[in-house]
Amino acid sequence: MAHGTPVLSLKRPLTVSKARVEPVADSDRAWARLVYAYAASAATWLVFGTLVGLYISFKFAAPDIEHVPWLSYGRLRPVHTNSVFWGWGTLALLAGALYVVPRTSHRRLHSYGLAWVSLGLIDLAVVVGDVLLMAGINNGGQEYREFVWPVQAVFAAGVVLLAYNLARTIAGRGIEEIYISNWYIMGGFLWTIPLVVFAYLPFYQQNAIAETVVQGYYMHMGVGMWFTPIALGLTYYSLPKLLNKPIYSYSLGVLAFWTQMLFYTMIGAHHFIFAPTPWWIQTVAVIFSVGMVITLAAGTGNFLLTMRGSGRAIARSYSLPFILAGTVSYFLFSAQGSLEALRSLQGVWHFTNYTVGHSHLTMYGFVTLLVWGSLYGLLPRLTGREPPQLWVGVHFWFAVVGLALYGGALSVGGTLQGLSWMSGVPFIESVKQMASFWLWRAVGGTLMFLSHLVFAYNVWRMRPAAVAAGEARADVALEEAAA
Amino acid sequence: MSFHKDHWLLFSVTCFGFVGLSLIIGILPAKWVQDNAVPLPGMQPLTALEKQGLGVYVGEGCVACHTQQVRPLEMDAAFGRPSVPGDYAYVTPLGPWAPYAPAVLGSQRTGPDLTNAGRRQPSEVWQYLHLYDPRAVVPDSVMPAYPWLFDVVASAPEGATVVPVPAPYAPAEGVVVPNERGEALVAYLLSLKQAPLEAGDEHATAAGGSAANGADGLGAHAGGTR
Ligand code: HEM
Ligand code: HEM
Repeated sequence: MAHGTPVLSLKRPLTVSKARVEPVADSDRAWARLVYAYAASAATWLVFGTLVGLYISFKFAAPDIEHVPWLSYGRLRPVHTNSVFWGWGTLALLAGALYVVPRTSHRRLHSYGLAWVSLGLIDLAVVVGDVLLMAGINNGGQEYREFVWPVQAVFAAGVVLLAYNLARTIAGRGIEEIYISNWYIMGGFLWTIPLVVFAYLPFYQQNAIAETVVQGYYMHMGVGMWFTPIALGLTYYSLPKLLNKPIYSYSLGVLAFWTQMLFYTMIGAHHFIFAPTPWWIQTVAVIFSVGMVITLAAGTGNFLLTMRGSGRAIARSYSLPFILAGTVSYFLFSAQGSLEALRSLQGVWHFTNYTVGHSHLTMYGFVTLLVWGSLYGLLPRLTGREPPQLWVGVHFWFAVVGLALYGGALSVGGTLQGLSWMSGVPFIESVKQMASFWLWRAVGGTLMFLSHLVFAYNVWRMRPAAVAAGEARADVALEEAAA
Repeated sequence: MSFHKDHWLLFSVTCFGFVGLSLIIGILPAKWVQDNAVPLPGMQPLTALEKQGLGVYVGEGCVACHTQQVRPLEMDAAFGRPSVPGDYAYVTPLGPWAPYAPAVLGSQRTGPDLTNAGRRQPSEVWQYLHLYDPRAVVPDSVMPAYPWLFDVVASAPEGATVVPVPAPYAPAEGVVVPNERGEALVAYLLSLKQAPLEAGDEHATAAGGSAANGADGLGAHAGGTR
C-alpha cells in the first residue's frame, strides 16, 4: 500500500496489504451508475433478507418472542428465502452480468433505459411479494414460488426485458466469438424464463400430487439453472481477468455448459425421493444427480487449474479469496448433493436440517461467495473507488467462519435428527436434541449477518466517484483515462 | 455454423433443448399423474369449512415445517401407511390468486408429519389448545403460537367452544374462543385421516410393493402411479 491509513500502516500490520486494481479505463458514467444501482439494491436485499433469516433462526430458541401475525415463522421463512433469492442473489448476479456482457462483447449495453426498468420491476416484485407473504397471501406454500402470479409476472417481465437487452448486446458484439461467460449468462436467462412460465401455468397442477412433480422440477432448476450458471459465467470472466491469464481450458467450460443443461434439468425429482410421485422420475433424478459429478469436475477443475501456480496472486488480492472459497464450495457441496440424492442416504437425511445445511453451503458457500468475489473484483474498475481492504478481510472471515458454524451445526444435527427418527423414539426427542445445534446455527448466522453489514458498507465505499462532491481528483483521473 | 459464432443458434438450442427436457421430466409426468390420481373409495372431498382451513394452513406457512407424505420406510410407519397419489386427489386449487393445488406434501419435518393428524389427536380441544400455545400441551415444542386464530371475550357466546387454556398461558381476563379462521383450521386438521386401502385395490398392491422394495430402489412403482 502506497499511502497507509490510520488502521493499515506498515507499523501496525494488522493485515497484509493487498494489490489494488489497475487504473480505471472507463469513462461511461451511465454504465457505472447502472451496475452500481444493481449492486446496491442487491446489498440492501441481502441485509434485509438475512436479518429475517437471523430473526427466524432465533425463533427456534425463543418461539414466544412475540406473537405478531406478520412476523410469524411460517410467514417470514418464505420472506427470507425469496428476498435472498430474487432480491440478493438475482440482482447481484445481474449486476455482474451487466458488467461482463458488454465487456466481453466489446460494446456498450444495448439499452441503459431498459436495464433501469428491469431493476425497477424486480425490486417492485420482491417488495410487494414480501409484503403479501407477511400478510399471509401466497401462491400455495410452494418453496421459492410462494409469490402470487401477478407478482411473479412483474418479476418475470423484468427478467425478460433484461434477457432481451443482453441478447441484443451479444448479438451486436464487436468480436466474432461469443465468450464462454456469455454462454452461461444467457443460459441462465434462457433456462429460467421457460422455467418460470412452466412453474406458473396451472393446467397440470390441479391436485397436490401433480403440483409436487412440478415443484421438484422447479425447486432444483431455480437454483441450478439460474444462480449456478450465472455465478459460473461471471467467474469465467473475473477469475482469468483478476489473475491476468487465460482460462485453463475453454472446451472444459463448453462441456460443463452442455452437461449442465442435460443433467441438471433431469434431477429435480430428487427433492421428493420416496414420495408417491412416479418412481421412474425419481430414479432418473438419482442417476443424473450422480452424473452431475462430471459437470462439477469440469467446472471446478477448470477454475482450480486456472488458479494453479497463482497462490501468491490470490493471497495478494482481496477478491480472489472469495472466488477460491466459492469454487471449492461449489465442488464439495454439490458433490454432497449427489450423495444426498442416493436413496440409502435420503433415508437418513431427507426432511432433516441436513438439507437446510446443504442449501446454505451451496447458495451461500458457492453462489454468494462467488458473487462477492466478482463484485469486489469488478466494481472498482467501473466506479473508480476501491473498498477498504481491512473491511473486505473482515467481511470474508466473518462470512466464512459463520457459514462453517452454520453448515457444521446443521450437518451434524441433521444427521442425528435422521438417526433419532430411525431409532423410533418419540418425535419430540429429535426436537430437543436439535436445540443446541439450532443455537450454533444462530451464532454462525450472527457472524454471517455482521459480515453482510460490512459488505453493505464496502459497497457504499465503492460508489461511483462522481456521486460525492470533493472527489474531483478521482473524476479527473477517470476523465484522463478516458481521453 | 458454430455455437461459438452464431448467437441465435446457441440461444435457440439452449432454450429449446431445455424446454424439451422440461416437458419430458416435469410437465408431462405432472399431467399424467394429475389424470391418474383418483380418490380412494373411502375418501370424502373437503367441506367448505375444511377447504377454508386448508387456506389458513397455506397462508400461515405450516408447510415450512410439516410434511404430509408417509414414505414406504420403516421409520415413517408411525405416521401411517405409505401415501399414494389418490390421497391427494381432493387437494385442489384455492382460488384465482393461487390457481394451483397447494403444496401440502412438504419437504421438511421440523415438526411431525400431519398425514394422520386428525386420527392422532382427534380432540378438538387439544387442537385448539395446541394452536393457541403449543407449549401448553407440548412443553418442548418450538412451534409458533397462533393467538390470532382466537378471540378473547368476556364470556363465550352461545355455542362457542371455550378453550380451557391453563393458567400460565391464559390471558389475564376473559375466555379464549376460536375465531372463524381458527375453527376452519381445526376442521381441516381433524379431517386429516388416511382412507383405508381396500384389499385387492391396485393402489394397495403397488404401495405395498414399494414399501418392501423402496429402500434399495428396486420397487417398480412408488405408490401405484402407473
Ligand atoms: C451436483 C449438484 C447437486 C445435487 C445432485 C444436489 C442434490 C440435492 C438433493 C438431493 C437435495 C434434496 C435434499 C432433501 O430434500 O433431502 C437438494 C436440496 C437443495 N439443494 Fe442441492 N444439489 C446439488 C447442487 C446444488 C447447488 C449448486 C445449489 C445452489 C446453488 C443447491 C441448492 C439446494 C437447495 C436450496 C436445496 C433445498 C431445497 C429445499 O428443500 O428447499 N444444490 N440438493
Ligand atoms: C445471516 C445469514 C442467514 C441466516 C441466519 C439464515 C437462516 C435461515 C433459516 C433459519 C432458515 C429456515 C430453516 C428451516 O426451515 O429450518 C433458512 C432457510 C433458507 N435459507 Fe437462509 N439464512 C441466512 C442466509 C441465507 C442466504 C444468503 C441464502 C441464499 C443466498 C439463504 C438461503 C436459504 C434457503 C434456500 C433456505 C431454505 C432451506 C431449505 O428448505 O432447505 N440463506 N435460512
